[in-house]
Amino acid sequence: MNSRERFRKALNHEQPDRPPIDLGATWVSGISASTYAKFRQALELPTHPPRIHEPYQLLGDVDEDVRNIIGVDVIGLWTPSTIFGFRINKGWKPWTMPDGTRVMVPIDFQTTIDDDGYTLIYPQGDRTAQPSGRMPKDGYFFDAIVRQEPLDENTLDPGDWLDSFTFFSDDDLAFIEKEATRIYEETEYGMVMNFGQGGLGDVAFVPGQNLISPKGLRDPNLWYEYLLTHTNYIRNIYELQTETTIVNMELLLQAVGDKLDVIIISGTDFGTQKAPMVSPDLFRTLWKPFYKQMNDWVHSKTNWKTFYHTDGAVMPLMDDFVDMGVDILNPVQCSAAGMDAESIKKKYGDKLVFWGGGVDTQNTLPFGAPEDVCMEVAQRMRVFSEGGGFVFSTIHNIQANTPVDNLIAMYETVLGRPLQ
Amino acid sequence: MEDLSNLYNAIIHGKLKTAKSLTEQAINKGVDPQELITNFLIPAMDEVGRRFECNDYFVPELLISARAMKGALEIINPILAERGTKPLGSVIIGTVKGDLHDIGKNLVASMLEGAGLEITDLGVDVRPEKFVETAKEKKPTFVALSALLTTTMPSMKTTIEALKEAGIRNNVKVIIGGAPVTQKFADEIGADGYSDSASGAVALVRKFINQ
Repeated sequence: MNSRERFRKALNHEQPDRPPIDLGATWVSGISASTYAKFRQALELPTHPPRIHEPYQLLGDVDEDVRNIIGVDVIGLWTPSTIFGFRINKGWKPWTMPDGTRVMVPIDFQTTIDDDGYTLIYPQGDRTAQPSGRMPKDGYFFDAIVRQEPLDENTLDPGDWLDSFTFFSDDDLAFIEKEATRIYEETEYGMVMNFGQGGLGDVAFVPGQNLISPKGLRDPNLWYEYLLTHTNYIRNIYELQTETTIVNMELLLQAVGDKLDVIIISGTDFGTQKAPMVSPDLFRTLWKPFYKQMNDWVHSKTNWKTFYHTDGAVMPLMDDFVDMGVDILNPVQCSAAGMDAESIKKKYGDKLVFWGGGVDTQNTLPFGAPEDVCMEVAQRMRVFSEGGGFVFSTIHNIQANTPVDNLIAMYETVLGRPLQ
Repeated sequence: MEDLSNLYNAIIHGKLKTAKSLTEQAINKGVDPQELITNFLIPAMDEVGRRFECNDYFVPELLISARAMKGALEIINPILAERGTKPLGSVIIGTVKGDLHDIGKNLVASMLEGAGLEITDLGVDVRPEKFVETAKEKKPTFVALSALLTTTMPSMKTTIEALKEAGIRNNVKVIIGGAPVTQKFADEIGADGYSDSASGAVALVRKFINQ
């Protein structure tokens, strides 16, 4: 059974020979470039500066040799533009992370260091613009700089957000088409599109880090308030976003057709450690109808599966996820309230594919001993594998400072044999 | 005494303008500002916390209630300061060094403020020395530390060590929280208390105040 067959079986809720494995196929199942460099060393692979094409979280691109060793079955298809608005198809240059890890970054990855030691990064690689991201002196990834212009509550215009909702260009589509064809024809991997444009109200993107001068409501803290105080304004933004998303999915379909297996629709987080971020009622009125529209489009026009990422305790929203047409849920944060592996698999295992849930990256993987990792991974494998519907990955990205012995223990447990 | 239950309701329902105008009216009519806090603002925020705890309220509801409460406090606090009224206790709060995340920290700060404590918010990426310096100056009851990242949790430990080195560790209660933080971690680094939620943080500080 090759990787694509294994992956597709799992997505169709059939039992594959083993669960397909993902590392690095999406921006929510990757590995910090800092840890990745150490992991390569531990695997005794030739060292080289990891390439980073996800410049926000500084995730290392996983190379073919690592994929082969740990049994990866799926790889990601990406758009050429990044969260900071610069493109990855214009060449690469060396850069050094604050912890000294040497990496390769896109040419337009433009940074400066301010008086307090922050690394600042610029939208579209334009150093004459205000920086849109910053990383503390000893940090491992960027956070958005909120550039909120004064807002007049009486003249709020959802159209201010149109700069954030643009259509794919010919260059985008040519890049995506070429890469999809390469993956499909030259490899045996399953394929997931890092699309995410349907992430309504995703506070990771609300600040508009890709824009030179973002307009409208851009402060995530205020965004949460406006959900209740200016609901119509938010709804109108979601409406615009949904329209653009569907047009871009049409363009994507023309470019890649059914070579693609999975499309990431949304990365909006709906859960804290203890409860949903927003009330189920608000979710049902403000998000669900739009998500349903997007999922219905996918299911009526393509064979793609819809992938939704949300952290946290979202059990009270799970019936809605199923109802609105989510096929795949990630990252399945088992440590959050009500999200334990057994309950979630028992209740929703036949309706949703769980992509994640493999091991806790807040606790066990960074701070546990290898034996703790083995135990947790073995338990998750046992619970989630049954009947397919499971893609093994860690619960969100593998963070910096994660012991590489724990990574080896994790993959050896998944594969049931030593890594070669 | 005026029937000010509308102020209580305005805060519970996150009505900023109403909360401010009712507070102004009450003060103009001679209502004691301390009574506004004790009898209306704190009970309202307690109710908001209770609803949050039992999943009746969520992050947006908490934020708009806190905003209404702060609107009322902006009017009340200067009067109390003039009188020299002492708050219930005081808190220095911040997200620790290396960590730029503040939504959780802001929620905790708001809930503690709503419980009648004086808050000094040092913001994000706060160096241990900054906590020490501010603690020496303000002499707070509590130092509250927040972290979202596994990579910045160790900064909580170094902050506690810095307070020790400065000789002021025993003058304050250190309380911690944040998504990856646990009671076990709090015990390991010698924090005095941990809470897994903003409303839990209120219960935690009250426990210490009443000791």
